[in-house]
Amino acid sequence: MASILADVDSQLSPKFAPFFGMAGIAFAMIFGCLGAAYGTAKSGIGIAGVGTYRPDLIMKSLIPVVMSGIIAVYALVIAVLIAGDMAPPPETYSLFTGFMHLAAGLSVGLSGLAAGYAIGIVGDMGVRCYMQQSRIFVGMVLILIFGEVLGLYGLIVGLILNSKSQA
Amino acid sequence: MSTLQQRRPTAPTTGSPNEKILQTNIGSSDTTPLVASNVIRTLLLFTAAMVICPIGSYFVTVNTIFRGNSTFAGGFAALVANVVLIGYVVVAWKDDVEDGSTKSNVGTGVRGPAEGKKEK
Repeated sequence: MASILADVDSQLSPKFAPFFGMAGIAFAMIFGCLGAAYGTAKSGIGIAGVGTYRPDLIMKSLIPVVMSGIIAVYALVIAVLIAGDMAPPPETYSLFTGFMHLAAGLSVGLSGLAAGYAIGIVGDMGVRCYMQQSRIFVGMVLILIFGEVLGLYGLIVGLILNSKSQA
Repeated sequence: MSTLQQRRPTAPTTGSPNEKILQTNIGSSDTTPLVASNVIRTLLLFTAAMVICPIGSYFVTVNTIFRGNSTFAGGFAALVANVVLIGYVVVAWKDDVEDGSTKSNVGTGVRGPAEGKKEK
């Protein structure tokens, strides 16, 4: 009876289960920082182009860079959360939890990649057009917020998944 | 550039005027006074806030306010990051409004760096 119970236990929490949780941490950071890096670099190109002609607009043009930084903060938050739930081997770690952590990390990371991509393109063209037409500022910030909210949705789903794995 | 070309013939004969022109050249091309110190301070403040506040608020609140519920603490960290972003947008917006009022006085021309320095 004890051997059957141990067998079921090892089937529910096999030795390779932490692999998926750690993959979730890595995917969250890798994809989230890929998106943040693309957003920072692409909008940085636009800011450099704007700052050559209108140095007084650099301060307002830095908003896409700040938003890209927030994408990386989302990835950092979910990575810290998942890492806080993991423990060395004597602690049992079920396969369900591992897949859940993988899903949380992938949802945050890949939605962060999408959000960073959107922020990069919108930030690049937005600050260039803002140099010529100052009324576009409100529209640019709104589009950037809608792009950045994509990463926030991924973080919400990741947080919900992470809370399910704790229960 | 024109001063560089002018000073080139006088360079072999006299040394001290050459140095003087070089000094003024360096002084005029120096960009540090063009960036106002309050802008630098604002950017440094928001950089520090963006680095410290979200992850710091997570670690501060996870065991004190939320009592180990790391999900709420993570959501709170994301909220703090967005608060920092909104603060930056507000600061940039106020800067924009000030510029708009001064621009209507000056005109619609492109403002040079010296004008921006005068304002700040």
